[in-house]
Amino acid sequence: MLHIGNVNLPLCSGVNRRSFLQAGAAAMAGLTLPNLLKLEAAGAVNEKKAKIRNCITLFLVGSPGHLDTWDMKPDAPDDIRGKFRPISTNVPGIHICEHFPRMAKMMDKVALIRSLSYNSGASHENGQRWMMTGHDFSAANKQPHMGSVISRVFGPKGDLPASIVLPAGIGNTGTSTPHGQESAYLGSAHQPFFLGSDPSRADFKVADLESPVGQSELRVEARRKLLHEIDELQRHVETSSTVERDTAYARAFNLLTNPTTKKAFDLNDEPAKLRDRYGRNSFGQSCLMARRLIERGSRFVTVNQFDTVFGISCWDMHADGGSLNNTYADYEHVLCPQFDMAFTALLEDLQQRGMLEDTVISVISEFGRTPKINPKGGRDHYPSAWTNFFAGGPIHGGRVIGSTDKIGAAPHDRPVSPPQVVASIYQAMGIDLETTMLPGPGGRPVRFIEAEPIRELFS
Amino acid sequence: MDQKLEGTPKATLQISGRKVTSGEITNHWGTRLQWKVSRDGKEIATVGAGIELTFEHPETVPGKYEVVLQQFHYLNYKKDKDGKFTESKYVNISEPVSYTI
Repeated sequence: MLHIGNVNLPLCSGVNRRSFLQAGAAAMAGLTLPNLLKLEAAGAVNEKKAKIRNCITLFLVGSPGHLDTWDMKPDAPDDIRGKFRPISTNVPGIHICEHFPRMAKMMDKVALIRSLSYNSGASHENGQRWMMTGHDFSAANKQPHMGSVISRVFGPKGDLPASIVLPAGIGNTGTSTPHGQESAYLGSAHQPFFLGSDPSRADFKVADLESPVGQSELRVEARRKLLHEIDELQRHVETSSTVERDTAYARAFNLLTNPTTKKAFDLNDEPAKLRDRYGRNSFGQSCLMARRLIERGSRFVTVNQFDTVFGISCWDMHADGGSLNNTYADYEHVLCPQFDMAFTALLEDLQQRGMLEDTVISVISEFGRTPKINPKGGRDHYPSAWTNFFAGGPIHGGRVIGSTDKIGAAPHDRPVSPPQVVASIYQAMGIDLETTMLPGPGGRPVRFIEAEPIRELFS
Repeated sequence: MDQKLEGTPKATLQISGRKVTSGEITNHWGTRLQWKVSRDGKEIATVGAGIELTFEHPETVPGKYEVVLQQFHYLNYKKDKDGKFTESKYVNISEPVSYTI
């Protein structure tokens, strides 16, 4: 059986997706995009036939230096190994940076991929596109964010959007090229919902969930009814675009008017002790909110640790003395401790609630950082080698996949590409990449990703 | 958006001989913790705090020792030419405890 989105199609035994594509997508007679969209709008996800999981992706904007965090080289020369020391973990033979002591105690749940690389440019946006879509592309040929793909394939579950980005979308990271956090050709119905507010703030409110100033809830409801009547008229003359817009509007109104939905974003419902455990900072509270949203029906929550790399403390440690003046001091006093608290709190919290098995956690970044420390004491962009990691869901923890050479300059064995990471996330979430196709531009079936999952994560 | 740390972290210390133990920290910012040790009113050491939040300073030079738990208060990323923070800094999050040798 072949699936396009949520729709099952008969397929001759022994024919895989590659040969199917070679036979020509035109064979998909009778299956139109409007039909697919209607099926999805009706919630046609067959969760009984597949083990569907959710995903929380922590995107470490700016990118930690792999040699200073999860791929340390203590025997390398001074100007390469950096100032931090490795510590043992609860998995013999795996060592990580001394500033992740909590993570070290939970390494049996984590699978490190130490041999990531790509060679198509070292801008932040390049890395963001690769890691959040599995593709590199231009503004004219945008590819959808993983969360949008999941929204399209699984559909929503309840009133919350299937894909949510916390606390904000990625803004200025250097160039004006796409960041890979849009729905692209999948349309507005699958655009991630961007929170646009810092959940750690005492005055936190979700801007998009507040009624516009001067409009009572009664008036908002009256507008919804009017819009519904207009849509009914339009439905007689339009097909796919109407259905898609229906879905988007329905979600917007649900978010605006449904008290349960609003409550999903209210961290004041969480025990103070738990909020402390995550860390009372933007990243920690966003991780807690991610768990809360997954618990209430979201499928894919992305936490952007930062929305820029300029003028803030972030992983982008150029130490340039200007607006990119992050140094080892940022790593030691702010970034590593905050990550260590939030990541391990999320693992613990999901496990205690029985959610870890059904929730994949991916921790990804744009690239690594140069093996040789620059003259100002920082490290610069380096996509030729870096480390990201997974936990939860079907991921087998306590292992290291791939390695780099003696100075962390290049993969030494088992090189892994960004599309393989994205393929692994899809597979971990329950998508059979061999038998499922994605409705591409114009409804043409396309492969989810041109790569195979990293098999060692699952066996 | 740059992060603004909300709330004020607070911890209560207990002392037994020279061993200092902190209770749970409320309003934990998630930033690094350290023990600041003073002898006869003069700072003599700062030591990173482990997960267990217990600490025993090894020095036995006679004097009055004071120990306090501190947390890094991130205000902004501004640094000097050596890459050290200029405005963000460690602040006390407990009352000090003391002992005399």
